[in-house]
Amino acid sequence: MNEFAFLLMAFLIYVLVMLLGFISFFNQQTGLRKTFYYLAILGLAFHSISLIIRTIASGHAPFTSMYESISFLAWSCVLAVIIFERKFNLEKTGPYLWLIIVALMALASSPALPKNITPLVPALQSYWLWLHVSVTLIGEAFLAVAFVASLLYLTIQPGSGDKTEAEKKKEKYDLIAYRAVAIGFPLFTLGALVFGMIWASKAWGRYWGWDPKEVWSLITWLFYALYLHTRLIMGWKGKKSAIIAIIGFLSALFTFFGVNYLLRGLHSYV
Amino acid sequence: MSGVFRFLSSVRLAVVLLILIILLSIIGTLIPQGQELSFYQNYLPRVANLIAFLGFNHLYRSPLFLSLVFLFLLNLLFCSVKQLGAKSKRLKSKYGLAFDSSCELESEKIRLKLPKHLKADPNLLIFTLQKKKYQIKTATENDRKIILARRGIPGLFGPEIVHLGLMIIIIGGLVSALLSYRTSITIIEGETAKIPGKNFSLRLDKFTTEYYPNGSVKDWKSSVSVIEDNQVRASALIEVNHPFKYGSLSFYQMSYGQDWEKAAVELEVKTKETPGRRITLKAGEMTKIDQGLTIRVLSFVPDFQIDSAGQVFSRSPDPNNPAALVEIQSEGQPVFSGWVFYLYPDFTRFHRKTRPDLEVTLKKFEAPVFSVLEASSDPGSKLVWIGSALLMLGLLFSFYLPYKELRILVDSSGQVKILPYARKNRDGFLREIEQLLEDLIEK
Ligand code: HEM
Repeated sequence: MNEFAFLLMAFLIYVLVMLLGFISFFNQQTGLRKTFYYLAILGLAFHSISLIIRTIASGHAPFTSMYESISFLAWSCVLAVIIFERKFNLEKTGPYLWLIIVALMALASSPALPKNITPLVPALQSYWLWLHVSVTLIGEAFLAVAFVASLLYLTIQPGSGDKTEAEKKKEKYDLIAYRAVAIGFPLFTLGALVFGMIWASKAWGRYWGWDPKEVWSLITWLFYALYLHTRLIMGWKGKKSAIIAIIGFLSALFTFFGVNYLLRGLHSYV
Repeated sequence: MSGVFRFLSSVRLAVVLLILIILLSIIGTLIPQGQELSFYQNYLPRVANLIAFLGFNHLYRSPLFLSLVFLFLLNLLFCSVKQLGAKSKRLKSKYGLAFDSSCELESEKIRLKLPKHLKADPNLLIFTLQKKKYQIKTATENDRKIILARRGIPGLFGPEIVHLGLMIIIIGGLVSALLSYRTSITIIEGETAKIPGKNFSLRLDKFTTEYYPNGSVKDWKSSVSVIEDNQVRASALIEVNHPFKYGSLSFYQMSYGQDWEKAAVELEVKTKETPGRRITLKAGEMTKIDQGLTIRVLSFVPDFQIDSAGQVFSRSPDPNNPAALVEIQSEGQPVFSGWVFYLYPDFTRFHRKTRPDLEVTLKKFEAPVFSVLEASSDPGSKLVWIGSALLMLGLLFSFYLPYKELRILVDSSGQVKILPYARKNRDGFLREIEQLLEDLIEK
């Protein structure tokens, strides 16, 4: 079986987990919850095999083309979801995250993205590629968890249903978002900014060059700094916090996709 | 606290500055940076004057941006000083100071949960806390007993370590902006290039380009020697991602090129009498062939293109469509002139000849290869690495070693009061203590 067969199996399992998740909205059974926890791990295993096959075939890190990067981002999201589900229980955030994962997988497998293995340009041949991209994308996966939890926070109407019930739900989403940022922010700082600077200094002789991709990572990072401070010191829990977490993640998405297509710069090969 | 200090140390200022820096940074990615002013007049005529006035053609070096960064630096400094003062006061005091009462967690629930026997003997609670890695200090004041339990002291200073790291990074960035040295060096294989401003030269001993099977570039390698006072002081192999450090300078492999102006071509010249004679000569050179003929290569382009005005130019520095402009004279009279193409030997539209038997083809071409290196020294970079390490350490402390503090007050009548304190995740901390007390009751 090749890379794509494993990817397809992972994809199908992810779709299944998503559907089961949405169905269980109406049927809160812990048994079901356990089932799709293990299913998710199985999907992650298939996905990992696909990435490993790709890595062996290409001889380089599995995130140097759009197809590879998106597949790896989806993989990171699955990892983040599994870790969160295990430690904190994602509740209704779960299925919506699976929706994002399924969308990423669909995008990765779309014929619009070339799947052929291309050799690496000289600047990308470095073990810093591994560290920089993998840590950044895993960090962004946790920020995606915060994004979804924050979106759900905003959808809860205070008027609907029991008042304390709504309050409790909101608190839960707020907490999930904060915990996800508490993991995602340090990882993003390390991967995107610190490792990025180290690699740039090794490859180009300067650690920072105000290249659009660099600036957009910085902007993303500053949004999350804003999130932490307004929350911790100015007490902006809840709605305002949620909005900043959402904008922060949109900024991360723009760094990932938008900069390549809309702004030009040195990072144009990925 | 004076007004200026209060302003400069406030988190409100930090929030405003963060938002302004974000906005300016976004603008900087929308306006193309580093162009001539005429560029903006052509493409952004409406805002060109504003861009020029604000210096937004170099936004990240503009006075506006730099003053925001400088204010941010001051903000970080003053804020950290304020926080450090308050926090160390709290640490030093024997029984905790209510310096930040918003973080004191008087909890009705906890008061209700206080087990009865605790009043007589708080030692069990102390023992449990010790097992949970709390440091315990006891003090007696008047006839009140105060037990102070705390853990995660690094976490208390986590944010200050983060902020210190950031300040060092920003200072490092300013040092780099002021003192870093960068220059691009191109050296042809076998030749030596003087490093501007330094007392040594670099000789390129060998340059190789490695290719993948599909023809794309895999790596560039420059073997270089450092020459100082006519002596070879060091030799090294520079590759992409593997710089070479000499003294305060580091050399980076950036790219390579070919000096087409010094190209040498091999031409095949056919006449009726002598078919298939090969001649090698350089662009600009003239040489005699027999029968009174002289041949000259007027110019060479690696990627032939002709514009609407009939001007020939090279579309790129890559040999995609190499062509040479050749002229042959017989006793001072031109008998052949025109562009000959390496890839299209039969394309003779640009040929003008008075001797129909003359045929010229371009068989080979070669140009000296040069390596493009970047020399740089950056005294700011060390600060950036130190700052980054502190930043990461501080983040780890802030998020994963949260500071927790409990004060247990026992007054002379045996009345017990518990005052928990946490910077964040207060609800979590309260729940933790409730759980702890519940476990105690069960024992
Ligand atoms: C990009 C810049 C900044 C970053 C990345 C940053 C990072 C952090 C982090 C990670 C924390 C801990 C947050 C948490 O535990 O939830 C923190 C706390 C804090 N930051 Fe910043 N910070 C920045 C700028 C500033 C500035 C300019 C100020 C100046 C007013 C400031 C004031 C504070 C304060 C007062 C705290 C709370 C300290 C505590 O509760 O012990 N920060 N910062």
